[in-house]
Amino acid sequence: MYKYSKTDKQIVKARTKQFKNQVFRRIKGKLSEEEFKPLRLMNGLYLQLHAYMLRVAIPYGELSSNQLKKLAEIAKKYDKGYGHFTTRQNIQFNWPKLTDVPEILSELAEVEMHAIQTSGNCIRNLSSDHLAGIIKNEVEDPRPWCEIIRKWSTFHPEFSFLPRKFKIAVTGCDEDRAAIKVHDIGLKLINKNDRIGFEVYVGGGQGRSPYIAKKLRNFLKKGDLLNYLEAILSTYNELGRRDNIYKARIKILINELGIEKFKNKVEEKFKKFSNQELIIKKEDIKKIFSYFQLPKLNKKKGIVKNNKDPKYNIWLKQNVIKHKISGYSIVLISLKPLGKPPGDADAKQMKGIAKISDEYSFGEIRVTHEQNLVLPHIENKNLFLVWKKLRNLDISTPNIGLITDTICCPGMDYCALATARSIPISQKISNHFRNIENQKKIGDLKIKISGCINACGHHHVGNIGILGLDKNGAESYQITLGGSSKNDASIGQIVGPSFSEGNLLGAIEKIINLYKKNKKKNEDFLSVFRRIGISEFKKYLYDNTS
Amino acid sequence: MAKKLKGDFFFLTANDLQTGAVLFFTKKGWLCESSDAIKIPRERIEHYEKIARKYEDDCRIISPFFVELDESGGIKSLRDKIRNKGITFKLKNV
Repeated sequence: MYKYSKTDKQIVKARTKQFKNQVFRRIKGKLSEEEFKPLRLMNGLYLQLHAYMLRVAIPYGELSSNQLKKLAEIAKKYDKGYGHFTTRQNIQFNWPKLTDVPEILSELAEVEMHAIQTSGNCIRNLSSDHLAGIIKNEVEDPRPWCEIIRKWSTFHPEFSFLPRKFKIAVTGCDEDRAAIKVHDIGLKLINKNDRIGFEVYVGGGQGRSPYIAKKLRNFLKKGDLLNYLEAILSTYNELGRRDNIYKARIKILINELGIEKFKNKVEEKFKKFSNQELIIKKEDIKKIFSYFQLPKLNKKKGIVKNNKDPKYNIWLKQNVIKHKISGYSIVLISLKPLGKPPGDADAKQMKGIAKISDEYSFGEIRVTHEQNLVLPHIENKNLFLVWKKLRNLDISTPNIGLITDTICCPGMDYCALATARSIPISQKISNHFRNIENQKKIGDLKIKISGCINACGHHHVGNIGILGLDKNGAESYQITLGGSSKNDASIGQIVGPSFSEGNLLGAIEKIINLYKKNKKKNEDFLSVFRRIGISEFKKYLYDNTS
Repeated sequence: MAKKLKGDFFFLTANDLQTGAVLFFTKKGWLCESSDAIKIPRERIEHYEKIARKYEDDCRIISPFFVELDESGGIKSLRDKIRNKGITFKLKNV
């Protein structure tokens, strides 16, 4: 796990003190809202529909049990007793008072957390694979590289006021669980002729103009990483548009310029950079890697056993995967129980998970970009016990990767930008498809729901994507099919005219039925969609005579 | 603040600067409940804009705006209804 250096501690402490003073000046009228707004946003504080919202960074989704306990305390003491884990592996508190935020930030600093760069046109919190360092077939653990980038990008003076926000994701596996191709920069660790380096992708993103990232470099030496990132960012900073917020992201620049021209500019800058300080020394890399060592896990023969409790067996099959060290397992905790907003956890659950982690998972927890949590190192002999404890906390739903494991933004129930609600849609889907046996028959299927075109619910890359719109004052839902954020990333295609809230579930049911009808042995939804094409779905959904 | 307003009648609303809570302007001042909110006819918008600005300058409220009312005097848009009544689903265990 990352460790704050003396400098990290100093800057977070200084920022907290600075923000306390800014809040004081705002309340006393010495700062207008116009002056204060950019300052609060730099500290992750938004004003939403009902209240302020504080977004706290969870660097690449990695949490210690102490940090999770602190988040639980904050939820209880300053909020309404819960927090919301987001699609960028962060956590949001939906109800803090402005006057409490300085205190919250200083409590977060006690456990090496903050809300810096969770908003604004800067390099945002890094995201990564939630199975980093614990899964077989990994080229290298991406977390130390995330940490190196975090250190470089925090308060980077040149990149604090970019044309628009900037998101970076890193993975160390062939199987992409970090959605790197829908990030401004996606980095993939690869092994080429026994040398490990990065494949670099650039210009991916969702929002109103979705793009899959393009490959910028086949191989980048590890030591050159920061210089190359510096070259990309400074090219974007120089050429990215600042006159139109909708055209300001790097994806638009690359689309307008063309990848080859953009590449030439980046490579030119990269060659020119003689900034020796940014070439990462081997000993520095080694030091950062030492923070991410596995806990002492002794290889064991303990196999994963079924139990007489069928509910446990279902959970075991759906929510537990093999650890790279034999005798251990990785437990995925679904934050999608029936009737709850996806990604929400209350203070009791957070505290409970922290305790379970202390007892059975070396005090480590991960947050996934699919809004679930992970207990990374559970000894196989303890799995049944862990399941019982999770069940007592109402977080043992065995639906990881299934139709009810929906990704969902807060939507119009919370968000000031949303055009429709998304959480009630997710709840309806969850309730309609609640039968676990049916869910398993449907198989792997990602439904992703956004309450507006900004796509915080990743609808563009949902196998079934749902976008909430405002149609003459009424909520309306557009369906896209065939999206994916994995290696074979693709943007979903709009199936046709949107549906009212009342008709949406029926449409999804029809889509599932057509999939089932065409499914060949073990074929998942995406494969069927890619084989039969969108026209079949269009016909089935909109043909009134059928 | 009054740009692009449609309709004939409105409520004046804002958020409390210190707590962020949703507020409505009533005869008794700013309250969390919309039931006593003053029904503002279009021609009085300018007057209430001045009032809102004063409260903003006094650091009591932020983001004031006018909420359009329907023919029965209720809040018209779903967003503003949610803002008034709160989230539309039950928070389990909270």
